[in-house]
Amino acid sequence: MTTEVVQRTALLQVSGLTIDTEPGGTSVRLVDGVDLTVAAGERVALVGESGSGKSVTARALMRLDGSLTIGGSIRLGDTEILAQTERHLSMIRGSRIGMVFQDPMSALDPLQSIGAQVSEPLRLRGIRKKDALRRAAEVLSELGVVRAHDRLGAYPHEFSGGMRQRVVLAMALVGEPEILIADEPTTALDVRVQQQVLKLLDEVTRERGLGLLLITHDLGVVAGLADRVAVMYSGRIVEDRPVGALFADPLHPYTAGLLAAVPRLDVRLPRMTTIPGAPPSPALRPAGCPFHPRCPVAMDRCASETPPTTATPDGGRLACHLDQGSGN
Amino acid sequence: MVVGAVAVIVVLAVVGPWVAPESVYRSDIANALAGPSSEHWLGTDDQGRDVLWRTIAGARSSVLSAVLVVAAYSLIGTALATMATVGGRWIDETLMRVTDIGFALPGLVVALGIAAALGPSLSSALIAMIATGWPYTARLLRGVMRETMASPFVDGAVVLGVSRWRLMRRHVLPNSLDVMTVKWAGDIGNTVLVLAGLSFIGVGAQPPSAEWGAAVAGARDYLSTAWWAALVPGIAIVITAAAFGLLGDMLHERRDPARQGA
Repeated sequence: MTTEVVQRTALLQVSGLTIDTEPGGTSVRLVDGVDLTVAAGERVALVGESGSGKSVTARALMRLDGSLTIGGSIRLGDTEILAQTERHLSMIRGSRIGMVFQDPMSALDPLQSIGAQVSEPLRLRGIRKKDALRRAAEVLSELGVVRAHDRLGAYPHEFSGGMRQRVVLAMALVGEPEILIADEPTTALDVRVQQQVLKLLDEVTRERGLGLLLITHDLGVVAGLADRVAVMYSGRIVEDRPVGALFADPLHPYTAGLLAAVPRLDVRLPRMTTIPGAPPSPALRPAGCPFHPRCPVAMDRCASETPPTTATPDGGRLACHLDQGSGN
Repeated sequence: MVVGAVAVIVVLAVVGPWVAPESVYRSDIANALAGPSSEHWLGTDDQGRDVLWRTIAGARSSVLSAVLVVAAYSLIGTALATMATVGGRWIDETLMRVTDIGFALPGLVVALGIAAALGPSLSSALIAMIATGWPYTARLLRGVMRETMASPFVDGAVVLGVSRWRLMRRHVLPNSLDVMTVKWAGDIGNTVLVLAGLSFIGVGAQPPSAEWGAAVAGARDYLSTAWWAALVPGIAIVITAAAFGLLGDMLHERRDPARQGA
């Protein structure tokens, strides 16, 4: 478990995170010992297929799913998130951590005006309505909503998808959090709007020195935005390395498979490259390395021993038996 | 048109007893059971009272009572549904089992029981209807609220730091009540009908009240000779029940997303 390589102070430090479904019946371990750090101003992507546990991890950072059992530690600065009461938690949410969700169409309350929703985090902190609305309009303008002040009274259905995602982002940013969690922020948008939103995320995090944890399954999104990529498979992080190194030289066979499966415009392929098989259900996670049944280079020990996480020379870490002897 | 009808009914219910001549509560036996005439447009009842004016005067005890009943049990049901949603699993379980008991009480039997205990009167009937009406709102609204709680915008509000009660008040309840208004509008029509029924069988409003069910009951014996005395309040009941029922349908259609512009 030698993981600490980041020079900057860790803003968000997740260690040994486990997430289990409700006890009673058979409890299923959805997330199995995840370590993850995001430094101040650092942009980390958490990548994985559906069911890898990436979204449930992101939601656990905000303690959103009350019925799940969360173990381990989630530290934000000096605050242990898992030890907070519900009341203290509401003070951290919105003002220290902001979160953006997948679908801007449904992430806004249809019955509340844009102004009321964007100013809500400020109103919760006792800021007067007039000042809160003015600040909301400023943030919306910064995010490229034109004539923001005139549109505070508008309702979500009057906004397009891209505009709504700006509103959602404004809601997350108006409380001036230290870190932003974006859970598949572009998945529900069309390609052109995706580019706009990514550009916006890039600018916003850069300008404000905001930590970003980007949850996505889209490696194309990752390449342009993240400083570091953590690849998740079946509830574990299998590889976590700087973005350039990971794309140039993926060490884990799963990462290599994912990268090979990204469709490319400049190479003609007879068919799409895929990783054979399907990710295991968390209830039926194979022994040893969970990827071994699909791994092209699996060895005997992969089926019996869980690979330990080791540091890589480029400041990342890896959980694969293959790397142990190679001295890579 | 439906909105117009409901508006007329509500206005009559409010002002009816004030504009109706005082004679609607006084007997004029010499004029009893007279047919429609220029003086009494829709005839008189067995006490010689003007049927049209009595029906207008009775609108308050019929319609406003129904509105009151629905408002009262909706409030109770909403409070319970909110508590069940905010509270933990145990509060939810307990409240829903209590609601089950509420469902098990037959409205008519409760009404008869309360009439027997408190004496038959309009207020006994109202108490009985409130006592048996709330479980439907509580159960339905709890279901709707659970659904609303699963909406992404609820997560969106939680991550902004909105507390549980504020979440309920500002986001979950308003988005759930939308569905409930449809039910409540329809309920008013239905309650007018039930209240008239209770008065008709004698456990609701008592003579000389102008309440429509009581008026129909009083005129029942003269149906073959003076049909207007029963027919007019009867038609008032039908129109009112239909108007509020249609209002419910209209609200339902209006909130159907397929009929709304994006």
